[in-house]
Amino acid sequence: MSNNILTQNDIQHVDYKDVDLLRQFINPHGRLVSRRRTGLTAKQQRAVEAAVKRARFMGLLPYVQK
Amino acid sequence: MTTEETALVDADLSVATSIEDSRKEARIYEIGYHIIPTVKEENIEKIVGEIRSAIEKDGGSFIAEGAPSLMKLSYAMSAREGDRRVEHDRAYFGWIKFEAGMEIVVALSEMLKKDPSFLRFVIFRTVREDTRAKMKAPTLREVKRTDTIKSAPRRAPTEESAAPVSEVDLEKALQDITTE
Repeated sequence: MSNNILTQNDIQHVDYKDVDLLRQFINPHGRLVSRRRTGLTAKQQRAVEAAVKRARFMGLLPYVQK
Repeated sequence: MTTEETALVDADLSVATSIEDSRKEARIYEIGYHIIPTVKEENIEKIVGEIRSAIEKDGGSFIAEGAPSLMKLSYAMSAREGDRRVEHDRAYFGWIKFEAGMEIVVALSEMLKKDPSFLRFVIFRTVREDTRAKMKAPTLREVKRTDTIKSAPRRAPTEESAAPVSEVDLEKALQDITTE
């Protein structure tokens, strides 16, 4: 039984506009957190990665944070 | 033409038709866009109308839309204005989810690349269902303190404070304060 944020909240799709949700998967430097720490399934982690990268491209999330 | 050659030609035609079909087949896409902040607010609806007409032109249909609103960007983006580059740290961000064929998306993408009003855009395939998360990310402000207050043990009233104060003692204490 996986115990991660997406499963707990029954989130099927990860949207790049949900910045508050995505912020939970990046560290204070703006880098993606590893699967070991997020506890996501491989499929969920890929979806989160794609969403974070879209959000970065659109300026909703930073590429690097000081 | 031999039978084998005819079969090859038929196979080529069927491949070509399937590619053509896939181009025409309607798929769900989402476009997210940033309009440069120097555009006047009354002209924004007109600019978004260009996207809408490009989608509707060849039989595309809308599923959902987010109206453009001015937001602060996480980093400055540079855009070409005439022959110089200008950095923008805010932009009008909006999005549209629509159903259309591939050729509409290609045409739309080409159109937006040429339009100087668009700072940046992204088009990608998605699903018809609403993809926004229903949960609200926990924030520090939402931490409930009522539980901790309830669980704190109540202090029993001490005997000293519960004892009635006599008039004489009170008078004496007041006297002490006033003489000081």
